[in-house]
Amino acid sequence: MDIRLTVNGTEHALSVDVRTTLLDALRERLELTGTKKGCDLGQCGACTVLMDGRRVLACFTLAVAAEGAAITTIEGLAGDDEPLHPMQQAFLENDAYQCGYCTPGQIMSAIACVQEGYAETDEQIREYMSGNLCRCAAYPKIVAAIRQARPLLENR
Amino acid sequence: MPDGTQTMIGQPALRIDGRAKLTGRARYASDEVVPNPAHAFLVTSSIARGRIRGFHLDQARAVPGVLDILTHENVGGEAEKPKPMAGGDTTSTLESDRVWHDGQIIAVVVADSFEAAREAAHKVRVDYEAERPSATFGSPGAEEEVRKAGEHKDYHVGDAEAAFAAAPFKVDARYGTPTQHHNPIELFTTTCVWNGSKLTVYEPSQFVYGLRGNLAQQLHIEPGDIHVISRYVGGAFGSRGGITARTAWIAIAARRLGRPVRLVPTRDQGFTIVTYRAETRHHIQLGATSDGRLTALRHEGWEVTSRPSQYNVSGTETTARVYACPNILTKVNIVHADRNTPGFMRAPPETPYMFPLEVAMDELAVALGMDPVELRRVNDTMRDPATGLEYSSRSLMECYDQAGARFGWKSRDPAPRSMRDGDWLVGWGCASAAYPANIGPAAVRVTLTPEGRARVQIAAHDIGTGAYTVLAITAAERLGLPIEHVTVELGGSELPAAGLAAGSSHTAGICNAVAKACEEIRQKLALAAVVTNDGALSGQDASALVLREGALRSPAGAKEDLRAALSRVTGGVLEVYAENIPQGLPRESIGKAYAGQMSMSRGHSRQDATTYTFGAQFVEVRVHSRTGEVRVPRAVGAFAAGTIVNPLTAHSQCIGGMIWGIGAALHEATEIDPNAARYVNDNLSEYLIPVNADVPQVEAILVPERDDRVNPLGIKGLGEIGIVGMNAAVCNAVWHATGRRIRELPIRIEDLL
Amino acid sequence: MRPFDYEPAGGTEAALAASARHAAPDAPPPQYLAGGTNLLDLMKIGVMHPPALINIGALRGAHGGIEADASGLRLGALAHMAEAAEHPAILSDYPAIAQSLQQAANQQLRNMATLAGNVLQRTRCNYFRDPSWDACNKRRPGSGCAAKEGVNRLLAVLGVSEACIASYPGDFANVLAAFGAEVGLASPEGGSRRIPFEDLHRLPGDTPQIETNLRPGELITDFHVPAGPWTGRSLYLKVRDRASFAFAVASAVVALDLAGGTVREARIGLGGLAAKPWRSHEAEAALRGRRLDESTAQEAAEAAFAGAVTHGENDFKPELGRRTLVRALLEAAEMEV
Repeated sequence: MDIRLTVNGTEHALSVDVRTTLLDALRERLELTGTKKGCDLGQCGACTVLMDGRRVLACFTLAVAAEGAAITTIEGLAGDDEPLHPMQQAFLENDAYQCGYCTPGQIMSAIACVQEGYAETDEQIREYMSGNLCRCAAYPKIVAAIRQARPLLENR
Repeated sequence: MPDGTQTMIGQPALRIDGRAKLTGRARYASDEVVPNPAHAFLVTSSIARGRIRGFHLDQARAVPGVLDILTHENVGGEAEKPKPMAGGDTTSTLESDRVWHDGQIIAVVVADSFEAAREAAHKVRVDYEAERPSATFGSPGAEEEVRKAGEHKDYHVGDAEAAFAAAPFKVDARYGTPTQHHNPIELFTTTCVWNGSKLTVYEPSQFVYGLRGNLAQQLHIEPGDIHVISRYVGGAFGSRGGITARTAWIAIAARRLGRPVRLVPTRDQGFTIVTYRAETRHHIQLGATSDGRLTALRHEGWEVTSRPSQYNVSGTETTARVYACPNILTKVNIVHADRNTPGFMRAPPETPYMFPLEVAMDELAVALGMDPVELRRVNDTMRDPATGLEYSSRSLMECYDQAGARFGWKSRDPAPRSMRDGDWLVGWGCASAAYPANIGPAAVRVTLTPEGRARVQIAAHDIGTGAYTVLAITAAERLGLPIEHVTVELGGSELPAAGLAAGSSHTAGICNAVAKACEEIRQKLALAAVVTNDGALSGQDASALVLREGALRSPAGAKEDLRAALSRVTGGVLEVYAENIPQGLPRESIGKAYAGQMSMSRGHSRQDATTYTFGAQFVEVRVHSRTGEVRVPRAVGAFAAGTIVNPLTAHSQCIGGMIWGIGAALHEATEIDPNAARYVNDNLSEYLIPVNADVPQVEAILVPERDDRVNPLGIKGLGEIGIVGMNAAVCNAVWHATGRRIRELPIRIEDLL
Repeated sequence: MRPFDYEPAGGTEAALAASARHAAPDAPPPQYLAGGTNLLDLMKIGVMHPPALINIGALRGAHGGIEADASGLRLGALAHMAEAAEHPAILSDYPAIAQSLQQAANQQLRNMATLAGNVLQRTRCNYFRDPSWDACNKRRPGSGCAAKEGVNRLLAVLGVSEACIASYPGDFANVLAAFGAEVGLASPEGGSRRIPFEDLHRLPGDTPQIETNLRPGELITDFHVPAGPWTGRSLYLKVRDRASFAFAVASAVVALDLAGGTVREARIGLGGLAAKPWRSHEAEAALRGRRLDESTAQEAAEAAFAGAVTHGENDFKPELGRRTLVRALLEAAEMEV
């Protein structure tokens, strides 16, 4: 099927199998491999992207059903020569990651978490970030990063 | 090493690969873009034991886009079995019709698209000649044997049986730990690209040379014709150390098609196509005097493995030497079942074996009416009780004291069920952690430019440990450069060989190699600078000169800038290749690394001293008095691991390990169907690993420790230590909260109703 | 996953018509695609093979609202779980509903999944979810049930049959069942009907493959939760192994209308324990007109699990279920309303 996907402000025309997920379209077709496949079954959160500003799982979104939505992936936060997004910077400074594979999903989820207003307390952050598994278990540092970045995001 | 250079090692540094990871630009092996790939999907066995009578492939072949289907019938002879790093023989896959275990790779479907490959794989029908399988301990048909000495040792010191019989205080109990799977978040992908006779393999790996060497052997091609690339690794934890069967079949699929082939296995396939932590059983007997001194330690373990493999972890090599004891007896048994071959998983021996020892110690403390920390203090020793060798350093009690103070252990009422917060029972527990200070051989190339830029090239692996950054720190310090002026290339078999990134050995192995190369650079520059007639350092003592702040400097303050110093030895850049062979390893160990064979100097097998990292771990649990949920609101660990190259990433490693331990104690167990010998909860929604809400507060203290004997940089390693004591600490805390002693992990609601 | 026809529907009539058009005898029925979080899941793992997906995302305007009035709460079928979880009226007047949604899945899934889709989610029984197991009466009628002698810790003890012990995995639906909600349905034949929520799901009996009483092509349009003096004093207690993002090992819905310490009316539901969203009329009856204390709560719990059937690994679940219900009752009684 021929579809158009708007990713990080750029519209892409592509032809996909009707079964292709948004995740595979991003990774295999658009070479946007920052969005990760960790389970392909909605159980890990590594494929979290923003669709029209809300965090969703790219593995459970058909590419054909993503037409018309504004999709933001990790690649859309900071260009090659641009400063890091405040959430990325906070992850860097807090060492809120180890292997880094779940990290794009964590960051997208963290940005949404702040925007949803669920980053008011550490306890709330922990609960609302529980959909993003981190096998390296950087969890306490992820909470610290979000705590640090929250005021910067709120003032953006 | 001249003094005055120790400025950057030990200072926290942000990851140099941070920006790449945080922006999604880092290319993990699963992300590498190759031209026009075909997509592979695995078909795995649905029985655990038997033979394949035949395949029905017509429906699968009819799926539009299907290009090829590999089975033992058409490719069986094209590859040999991979060779595991331990345990000898292993199970086969497409080599024959034999099915050894559930989820064994029995066919590979290749198609133009992932969607078509998956559809076709689901349409492959298989006729089996099924036999009744044995699932685990106690299953009919499981075969038990005493593990022979060889890869691992048993200890027999004094007369443990007599001492136990005579001891006034005793613990005599049996314990168990479950099957567990690594479940790194990056899947077990493989992409193979042929260019003539040259093969490029993109696969997340903890040992690119191991993958290369083993694959060459399997495919009967030259190792030099294989290039393995694994620049970033999305978690490993032991699962990517040894080669697994999939790689060769994907290489063969790509060769047959004349087109790159990419395999992205499913999460559930990851439970059976790689290794896992096998379930264990233990019998512990401790005898002690009334003042708490151990007089007898017997530890017998049982471990599950596959039918053909002798794989075992024999953690008795550690439990025999944690405490002073004059009478020690250890023994390990292996039980063959119809299972895939197990392998390394975070602190492979210590996680399952320290659990029973450290729970037994807690039980002994209760029997003695002694504080559990004081029991450890009474039995602390600076001499390895199993061999009589000295510990090169050992700060176990310093760890207890620092972590205990931070935790507030002193205010603990020793009585069980003595603390409560509303409906929640509160308990505190502690345990020791110990892990051998291991080190492997490594080669490295370091290049220094007149502009003061350095490049480090080494086939090391950053599996999240911060290897990129510790390499840069070491080179920056020893060459006197800012860390931003050092670039690091790793994760590829085109680079000088480094060993397996596992067993807490990697930082020690690779940083000592870099330090050695940098020292060669310093020496070359210093010697040239002192013998010349015209320089500022002319006639000085070469051994006293150091590289600092972009110049070669004498203690008295004379200096020569890098450009001038370099120009005396080269017209361009200075490139040094160095090999580091750790004490206790033979010269040929570096050749083994190039050949892809594991060689490691182990902390419990050295002739000069016993080298171990120690730690102490404290845990608070809350158990709901009605419904039995266990939560861990806080945990504190302290670890003494010699030199800490980067405290920032080291700290992350330690808390990561501790959280692994919380998961292992309370959540993680792969459930096996007892009749079918098949894994059932092979997904991340029911194989539970901790989520953010599970770990409110986890603290790690890095206790300063200097060890000049362990290796030149004094690095003991800490990737594994964080998990080691946690199982027991949680279990001991649950006893303190509830009065119930649970000796089988994980501890779940049903154990506490 | 097999190829399917994909058809976005512009409105309710179009969706129903598309469903009728794609229906064929001897083929699995077409499916409505909303959040997709369970449907795509089951398609990827080879359990479901619908010939067509009808995307009903565009129907959110018509069937996505949430309204509260004196008669109760109307929940649009296509409202996202996250929307309902944070709706002010639900938070204040129907706390059990908000809690059941907040404690389900994770925020990404709650942003995607709709209320109707959530209610219709299928069992997590792994013998059902993995087609390589031969014996599953729900997936292959007549093939047997491997779970009864297998790994069944998370499976049901209430409402099970010889044929199937799969558990209903959701949270929110248990509250709808307990609260006596009603389901609005639109049919491809034209017209609509309303049925009690308790009649939406079926017990497995001899036909575990038939999970609901929905007619072919029927579309859930809304849920209506009747107002009652008990909805304010209500809670959802979820007992799970992990602190978040986990299915219930056991859960309880409790809503109480108390006069002094005496129960005028109670609404009680159970989750993680039963073959379908579960209301315990027995437990409600045991409490009606009685003083709520530890011993009457225990009696209600005994009544709720009088018919429990266990299969080895899940032997502990009636006891855990009783304790969960007692805890929920006593906590609800303490609520400040």
